[in-house]
Amino acid sequence: MAQVDRRTVLKAGAALAGSALATPAILTYGRGESPVKLGMVDPLTGVYAAVALSEVAGAKVAVEDINKKGGILGREVELLVEDSANNVGTGVQKARKLIDRDRVNCVIGDVNSAIALAMAGVTSEKGVLHIVSGGHTDAVTGKDCHWNVFRVCNTTTMDVNGIADTVIEKLGKKWYFLTPDYAYGHSVQDAFIRKLKAAGGEYAGDLVPLGTADYSAHLIKAKAYNPDVLINVMGGGDQVNSLKQFVGFGLNHQMAVSGTLFELESLRAVPPEALIGWWTMEWWWDQPDNPHVKVFVDKMRKATGHTPSARNWFGYTSVWTFALVANHAKSLEGVKLAHALEGFKLPPEVALQPGTPYYRPGDHELMSTMFAGEAHPAKGNPDNMFTVHSLVPGEKAAGPVAETGCTIHWS
Amino acid sequence: MTDLILYNVSNGLIIGAFYVLMALGLSLILNLSGVINFAHGGFLALGGYFAYTLAPYIGFWGALLVSPLLVALLGLILERTMIHRLYGRDPLYSLLLTFGLAFIFEDVTRAVWGATGLPFTVPDFLTKPLSSQFFFVTGYRLFMIAVVAIAVGGLFLFLRFSRLGVRIRAGTFDLDTVSTLGVNVKMLRSFNFALGIFLAGLAGVLAGGQLSLEPTMGANLLMPSFVAIIVGGVGSLPGTLLGGLLIGVAAGLTAVFWPAASDAVIYVMMAVVLLLRPRGLLGEEGLLT
Repeated sequence: MAQVDRRTVLKAGAALAGSALATPAILTYGRGESPVKLGMVDPLTGVYAAVALSEVAGAKVAVEDINKKGGILGREVELLVEDSANNVGTGVQKARKLIDRDRVNCVIGDVNSAIALAMAGVTSEKGVLHIVSGGHTDAVTGKDCHWNVFRVCNTTTMDVNGIADTVIEKLGKKWYFLTPDYAYGHSVQDAFIRKLKAAGGEYAGDLVPLGTADYSAHLIKAKAYNPDVLINVMGGGDQVNSLKQFVGFGLNHQMAVSGTLFELESLRAVPPEALIGWWTMEWWWDQPDNPHVKVFVDKMRKATGHTPSARNWFGYTSVWTFALVANHAKSLEGVKLAHALEGFKLPPEVALQPGTPYYRPGDHELMSTMFAGEAHPAKGNPDNMFTVHSLVPGEKAAGPVAETGCTIHWS
Repeated sequence: MTDLILYNVSNGLIIGAFYVLMALGLSLILNLSGVINFAHGGFLALGGYFAYTLAPYIGFWGALLVSPLLVALLGLILERTMIHRLYGRDPLYSLLLTFGLAFIFEDVTRAVWGATGLPFTVPDFLTKPLSSQFFFVTGYRLFMIAVVAIAVGGLFLFLRFSRLGVRIRAGTFDLDTVSTLGVNVKMLRSFNFALGIFLAGLAGVLAGGQLSLEPTMGANLLMPSFVAIIVGGVGSLPGTLLGGLLIGVAAGLTAVFWPAASDAVIYVMMAVVLLLRPRGLLGEEGLLT
């Protein structure tokens, strides 16, 4: 008996393709009568779920901290978390909802740069302070910068500049790229190529669709090119899968591997033999000389059961940035906050790193220190999978404001 | 260049073999019960996660067998309690149900095992490439092909020669007559459903060795499997086999010339097949109208 026709199967496929919509909001209620509301939009479902959830966890710890220390302008802080489902339309819709219906005073997010950029269009128009916690594409604080948008995580160019010299010097100048085919990937690859061309190197590479499960076809091409280094720009689960297969094919004996980020969330997801290569960390938990870091690490471990990652720090710092500047400016108004944030320095207990990071006036990018080094199987502590070889100051990696292409137009 | 193409054709066959395992399970359930099982990817992910949890106790080999059985058991329970109620109704009902189940699976997996990927380690001797020339043929991938070949061969023999298998095939053509002849159709469908889910669980364990375990891992593998069924022809298991291998090779070859399109090419292929031969390559005309 046949109840299903071919068209139904096709419709089913179409429905599956469009399934990334509509996921319910997770609400975190504060206490007081009229709390100061903060809205966070991050892809809690989809490929970036792991890093997004880390940002949310960091943000929650910050909210607890702030409420313990008297809140913002004496009022309780309430965090509203929305799922962008890794979809631009959904992200924009959630940002609008947070501003129009929930009346939030600040919007944080998104991990996905394309969503962050689209959200910035909404937040700037509505005059609400927007802190991009973890979307890395240059444009956010570059050619598409906005008066109200500030960013905690690095630009892709900064991440590249944090590691490229080390790669050229230590590993070689013939590169093969494995690059995810979307804004973030393209922007990282371009930044690497600029560095490589300046050093007189050569390259080839593949643009790989996001969410690719099998990398064998691309790795076959990489091997045929015979590079010194495979520059692996894939992110999240894609990075883990591609590295696992890279090692599985024994290519680690024939070429080095490097890239910009290999986040703690991803390090945890690969078997020990695939913990290899040279990377940058935007924040690293093992800073034995810094007592504030130890306090934060303990706090996060208590809250989540895990050693904090850079993403935890992004969420934590984003929320704290808003609280600090609002208390400093004694206002919740977007324009006032944005003006006050220009050049604003983070105190050591929020900065949690060497040096004093600040939001650069010209492009609103946080000038924070980068930790360049090598991944390796865990030594002692299970989260000790990375050794920092050099610290790169934010200003050095970012280059002058004039090169970012950002001009701030105050509305 | 010729080498590169040759490599990618054989590599495509390996990838295709994996899709076959997934698509055959989907196909079995679709053919006999008319259910488009959207939760198949969820069952696959569970197969991987169960294996991850079980492996420290019963080893990789034990997990390879026990995990798919557990997943099949879960499939059986869901079929008996929920899915069977929607047999014979508009297929959209069961489609929506399994669609919902897929979301539930994903979130339950995330709640139990966490959103962060988990490393699943396979026995050492399987992870090495067999030769430096054909470096992409690792022991593990050969092992995968062997498992797929055994599972697919076993399935076809079972459907061809066992009484139960013959009934499943007969049911695919005309369930009413099979029922009239005294076959317990209810049991037949339950068994068939569990069998399809077993294949998904097995695919999940195998995928775990290549990919990191993530709650969404099944979703990425589900669409190509659907495409394999449509290209091969709805209703035809050999067609599904052919479809799976073809899309693997197509994706592999496209990666040589235009890597960014390696994802899209299988859908283009599906569109072409639907335009030129709507029943699919080996589908029988009028079987599923």
